[in-house]
Amino acid sequence: MISRRTISRRTGTAIASATALALTLAACGGSGEGGDADGPMTWMTVIHTPTTPTPDGPIETALEEYTGTEFELQWVPAASTEEKLNAALSSGQLADLVTLGPVESTTVRSALASGMFWDVEDYLGEFPNLAKIDQGTLDSARIDGELYGVPYQKVKARYGVVVRQDWLDNLGLEVPHTIEELTKVAQAFTEDDPDGNGKDDTVGFYDREESFLVGFESLSGYFGAGSGFEVTTDGQVVPAFTTDAFKEAMEWYRGVYENGWVNQEFVTVQKTNQQDGIAQGKGGIVVTGLFEAKNYNALAKSADPETPMEWALINDLTYEDVPRRILSDTNGGMGGWLAIPKEYAPTEDELRKVLGFIDKLLDEEAYGLMTNGIEGEHYETDADGVVTVTDQTEWEQEVQPFSSSRPSEKVVTYESSDPYVNEANELMAENEANVITNPAQSLTSKTYDTRWSVIEQQVNDAYNQYITGAIEMADFEAKIESLRGQGLDQISEEFTAAYAEVNG
Amino acid sequence: MNAATTAAPGVPEASTRTERPQGRRRPQRPAFWRHRTLYLMAVPGIAYFLVFKYAPMGGLVIAFQDYMPFLGIGGSPWVGFDHFVRLFTEDTFLLLLRNTLTISFMLLVFAFPVPIILALLLNELRGKYFKRGVQSVIYLPHFLSWVIVASIFYVLLSTDGGSINNLIVDAGGDPVPFLTDPDWLRPLYIGQEIWKGAGWGTIVYLAAMTAVDTQLYEAAELDGAGRLRQSWHITLPAIRPTIIVMFILAIGDFLELGFEHMFLVMNSLNREVGEIFDTYVYTAGIQNGQLSYAAAVGLFKGLVGLLLVIMANRLAKRFGEEGVY
Repeated sequence: MISRRTISRRTGTAIASATALALTLAACGGSGEGGDADGPMTWMTVIHTPTTPTPDGPIETALEEYTGTEFELQWVPAASTEEKLNAALSSGQLADLVTLGPVESTTVRSALASGMFWDVEDYLGEFPNLAKIDQGTLDSARIDGELYGVPYQKVKARYGVVVRQDWLDNLGLEVPHTIEELTKVAQAFTEDDPDGNGKDDTVGFYDREESFLVGFESLSGYFGAGSGFEVTTDGQVVPAFTTDAFKEAMEWYRGVYENGWVNQEFVTVQKTNQQDGIAQGKGGIVVTGLFEAKNYNALAKSADPETPMEWALINDLTYEDVPRRILSDTNGGMGGWLAIPKEYAPTEDELRKVLGFIDKLLDEEAYGLMTNGIEGEHYETDADGVVTVTDQTEWEQEVQPFSSSRPSEKVVTYESSDPYVNEANELMAENEANVITNPAQSLTSKTYDTRWSVIEQQVNDAYNQYITGAIEMADFEAKIESLRGQGLDQISEEFTAAYAEVNG
Repeated sequence: MNAATTAAPGVPEASTRTERPQGRRRPQRPAFWRHRTLYLMAVPGIAYFLVFKYAPMGGLVIAFQDYMPFLGIGGSPWVGFDHFVRLFTEDTFLLLLRNTLTISFMLLVFAFPVPIILALLLNELRGKYFKRGVQSVIYLPHFLSWVIVASIFYVLLSTDGGSINNLIVDAGGDPVPFLTDPDWLRPLYIGQEIWKGAGWGTIVYLAAMTAVDTQLYEAAELDGAGRLRQSWHITLPAIRPTIIVMFILAIGDFLELGFEHMFLVMNSLNREVGEIFDTYVYTAGIQNGQLSYAAAVGLFKGLVGLLLVIMANRLAKRFGEEGVY
């Protein structure tokens, strides 16, 4: 039905000028369509796999049966989410339920705040699973205090440090738990030939291009820096990279770089290069998601089945007297919104129907269907409750596409046959208690929306230049000072005002 | 041009008609109706340009708006020249302009002549199969995407196990940070452009060279001209109009270096000499969802390009060449 409508409109306006075309689209978007109570519920969601599962495939049918709701999926490929969403938003061609993300997208946020979608806050309490959504996740999902969709729940902090256990053993070292110990390990990994091949071909840390945004950011958290932004004692919202803790971490990391304990050309290393380098045993310390140890091992095994690679997973690093903390790498435990357009659900009853559907998806049975598939068809469970996928290809085709649409990633943690997976799951759950989130994430600043990417890139460059010794700390500070006049101060001010309004 | 030549046969008919006063209705729609089949054949082409080239230009209005996708072009607020003011007052504007102009200029000086020289060399080859073999091989890089080209160079030039640096170290030298040293970025960029595009670029010139009258070469040979003199006095002057057209087209792209290539070879340490308008549009416009700002920068680049083409074309005509239009 929808496709026919799109085609006829397209041919109808093909000859018209673009302005007219856009006007028509915008105008049509405004007219009431959808919300027909009879047809199946439509859900526009994101797909991360190359192929979509067949409509009315086994999982979809099973889910329809379980939830008692007939629904139709409109898959949007992850690579083009933003363009597709832009087009859908501008033409009003949405669905009864819309998966919105990425979390930091200005377009998505302004669309959410535009009033097109229901504020769901008051209704969550009526549903058993939705009522249980973690307060921190809800806070992260708010936009200037309002909740315009049900948040996708994720583990709040998956990061930690993974260290080559076999190298530690070769050198007779203990697993490090402080930055000081970690530094010593990095030195030993670089200088003491941990793989015992007689060549000087290893380093400690193996970092990549996104150091400032990912690896180092997580390390700076141990020194006391915030996640993106932090609130000072007098209520000011300031960028984390302006704080003393962050600069202290930078000074330490520059020392590590100068000594050669981190790969010297990390600013050119892409994520896959990093994975390859680690699998090849070039470096022994990685600041990354704890679940990655399993992937590094798999990669190393595919090249050399006899690889001695073993990993120690560390989630409790601390620095001097700074209490244990970990920065959230998942936007405070949320991966987007399940938003309900008012146009498609004009009444509260229709809204409740959609919310009820989401609530059902959060039940263990539905979660199992979307994670593992159907028992006997896609997976098997042994006596210890270990889940094994029986037909990987079929699972990837029929089940995997649904896994990224699960409204929560932490309903059940299944036992895996891979010990690294179980250990990582445990340590990531432990992280929740010490997690630090970005206080500015749920706030809005006009200047941030227009200027942040340029400011962030300039600070990122200055960071890399400082670490590699191209500039000094004074130059880094001067760079930040110059950025203050280009919007950084204004962003701080706007966030501070928004923070005061929401919190007080 | 087409209409003028094909109209010629119709002239006598028209002159006979003027003798008959009643027949005045017919010349009212002369050329168009008589060539209706030709026009009909042109309809798909014209429609293509209208629908896919001209109609989308209407979208440029977002450069003067604060465009938000969910409000659409109709609903987004009008901001006039705000985005242009921001571009010209941005601290980095001069840096962007300098980098873009420098790299474009280097491309014109170093990369533009390479296909011409290569075509001249190929033209001198007499072994038919050898010539074709060489041509196929030098065309090949054109079909690789920039991602592949950048990856190949990364593997060659990295200091962390790159082959060339391994050779340098084995020979007793210090590794050269080709990928991060700002001084190496531009040579690297130009070199990659030449490696990828030079072979493909020869096609146009080789085609132009086939049109050269071989009698000229024979005459020159009789007069005692060697290969070099033949190239200089016969081949080059013969392909001069082609070179000039290609040059004007290259000028038109003066600010349009393309996003992909630079984005792939640039990093924090060499951005200072590498950031160009195209990469800036990506960070400032696309990444932040500032579509209007991105459109404004794009419009600015396009207008400068148009201006340069018009100027180059005028200049070419003043020197007695044909130009592109």
